[in-house]
Amino acid sequence: MVLNLPLWATDCLRRAEPSLSPDLPLVLYEKNKGAMRLVALDALAAHAGLRAEQSLAEARAQLPTVQAREIDRSWTSAVFADFADWHSWASPLVAVLEDMTAYGDLVLDITGVSHLFGGEEAMLERVTGRLAAMGITVFGAIAPSIGAAWAISHHGRESRILAPDEVSAALSGLPVSALRLNGEQVAGLAQMGLKSIGQLYQRPRKPLQARFGVSLLTRLDQALGHVSERMTPRLPPAERFAERRFAEPIGLMDDVLAAAHDLAIRLGHDLEREGVAAHSFHLFIYRVDHKVLSLSVNAGRATRDPSHITRLFAHRSERLEGGYDPGFGIDMIRLAASSVDTLDETQMGVFETRDGASDLDRLYDRMTARLGALAVVRSIFVDTHVPERAIKLAPAVSGETNSVLPNTGLVRPLRLLPSPEPISVVAAVPDGPPAAMVWRRVRYGFVKASGPERIGAEWWRAHRRLDLLAPLDAGKTDRDDKPEQMPLLPNLEPFDSAAATRDYYVAEDDGGRRFWLFRLGLFVPGADPQWYLHGVFS
Amino acid sequence: MTTRTQTATLDALRQTIARIERRPSLKDTTTNSENVAGALPVPSGVMHEVFTDATRNGGATLGFALAQARHLLTPQRPALIYIHLLRDSQEFGLPYAAGLARFGFSPEEVLLARTATITELLWAAEEALACQAVAAVIAEIRGAPKQFDFTASRRLSMRAASAGASLFVMRYGTGREASAAGFRWHLTPERSAAMPFDAKAPGAPRWLARLEKGVLDGRVNGQWLLEWREHGLLECVSPFGGAAEHAAADRRSTLHGSEPAALGDGLSQTG
Repeated sequence: MVLNLPLWATDCLRRAEPSLSPDLPLVLYEKNKGAMRLVALDALAAHAGLRAEQSLAEARAQLPTVQAREIDRSWTSAVFADFADWHSWASPLVAVLEDMTAYGDLVLDITGVSHLFGGEEAMLERVTGRLAAMGITVFGAIAPSIGAAWAISHHGRESRILAPDEVSAALSGLPVSALRLNGEQVAGLAQMGLKSIGQLYQRPRKPLQARFGVSLLTRLDQALGHVSERMTPRLPPAERFAERRFAEPIGLMDDVLAAAHDLAIRLGHDLEREGVAAHSFHLFIYRVDHKVLSLSVNAGRATRDPSHITRLFAHRSERLEGGYDPGFGIDMIRLAASSVDTLDETQMGVFETRDGASDLDRLYDRMTARLGALAVVRSIFVDTHVPERAIKLAPAVSGETNSVLPNTGLVRPLRLLPSPEPISVVAAVPDGPPAAMVWRRVRYGFVKASGPERIGAEWWRAHRRLDLLAPLDAGKTDRDDKPEQMPLLPNLEPFDSAAATRDYYVAEDDGGRRFWLFRLGLFVPGADPQWYLHGVFS
Repeated sequence: MTTRTQTATLDALRQTIARIERRPSLKDTTTNSENVAGALPVPSGVMHEVFTDATRNGGATLGFALAQARHLLTPQRPALIYIHLLRDSQEFGLPYAAGLARFGFSPEEVLLARTATITELLWAAEEALACQAVAAVIAEIRGAPKQFDFTASRRLSMRAASAGASLFVMRYGTGREASAAGFRWHLTPERSAAMPFDAKAPGAPRWLARLEKGVLDGRVNGQWLLEWREHGLLECVSPFGGAAEHAAADRRSTLHGSEPAALGDGLSQTG
């Protein structure tokens, strides 16, 4: 199914700004090289004879009552993305066709879905009817191929359904521009006197390819369904999901969670039948006014237990706080499972020993759902001598385990300050142990000290600057062809391993407090050494 | 005969009170002492408040809580959860797994939870206590936040009693509010024990723990000078008088005044 939304930009602005008068024409303009050109018109403006690419001044002269707004591209695309996602209430596979117009065409794969709405006609009517009720101009078409549906929805100017055997007859009368061709190709075909698609059917293909490129033939074949066309859905399709539609929109989060529990039971049964369980669950909440709210939770151990899943969502929803806004109501929710793993049914045995490991995993899941993934962490040893890097904190649900054994013979503090704090130290001999220090404006006199333990910096990093990692999505080219801007490189000194060598001391003050402090760099006679406090002992 | 009925009545009353308070009765507390290793025969399923005067003693309170929690870890209850506020991590320092490993805690056992607000911290503490696999929860609360009132502490102590996990709340400062904690400790670090072969190096940590609330080992307001070794807590000299004497003796034996200069000369290489 293709939905053609010719006036989406203006329709959407009218919905967002009710102060705009519905009886006066509305246009959107954009500043381009100093000139203000129209980019979107509504039906009234188009009817009055304005066109896109016209300058704003000309349009104002032609039609003095016109209301003009500057287009906010980022806002409009964000709303359109939401709008596209919201259509997954009808079908899980929704794609945006961006090659012809920026906002305008949605493709829904409705294979095996339409019976839920009582047939294709009823579905088309339901989808377009909902949009029309919102004040959005829409033309929909259902056809065996994306190309045919696009052609019908753009040029038929009415909602229509094509059966597989009607395609070539229906397309033959349409102009060639209905094949999603570029301007040059259309103009070239017109020169040859080829105006309608039907005239192309009998033409020899080789000369056409030689003159217009292979894309013309591909488009023709795609429209006729000889070649299949791939669509890239916006949301990854969930293989396993359960959904529920509400006759009356609901609003309270508690109601949503109660419904989610029902869905979790259904999904749990489905997963159990397949002998699998999932690590991640996603709850999509569809609002009446084209918005989708999605919540995701992760479980450390693959699960299909409905009460556990619901509890995770309950905790996750508490973290939303002010972010939950049901708008005019919620009319559908969907619970999807991903990261599926096999989990065979287990029998609770008589000789089972309760080791509490599963309880613990569930506790971590709950805490992670409520507090966030980076809030619940576990220490992982890293094979290095630098104290602050010898331990890293990994999320408890990530399931990362220790592979490096710690060296328990080393004297290490019980608490480590995440960043060492500079202190001023008095030492009896310049390269000797500290005798007193001032830390956080309090003076401590030391009575015992041991050390130094020298921890050298990693020599293989010497004379190297900080590296910048390449951004991960380097392969994705931007639509606006701005030149790639290089990130600003700070003018850092190359890493000097000798200057980063540390001499650690354990020092105890007269009150029995033990500190771990270090002197930075190798001792140089005459230079003032820098001291830092890095940890406290029990 | 009369005395026997009296003791029976007294026992029954104690049981009733314990049931009301959902806490092990005082009698249990003393009988538990054989199966708890170490110096302090503290039962599990209790809420402790560990006070110390300033945040710079934070290492000592963490050590004290860990030393007690160590005895609570069993194969059935393998986990220890440390909860603190995210903004306090630089103030106190994070528990360092390499240091914990020295005292017998493996990093799998200790989970760190960092919350943004006190409300979340209290929620996390309660949720963790309710889990059957958690042996102890250590929560760090700086100052006297409004949310941590008597009701909150009562709730936590009841949760600890019903689930059988211990809760250690680490508090700082000299103020004391009403709380439902079973034990309230006041902890001060003491000079460490002498290190064998090196008198100038810090040895095993020692603390002076004073019980401000609760009855332990039949003593009210008991005072212990404790030493923490790799294999557990050790009481140095038992009753109060001895401990002070011991501390004084210890103080005499260690370096003082002009000694740090001497320290530098005979620099230990044992590091």
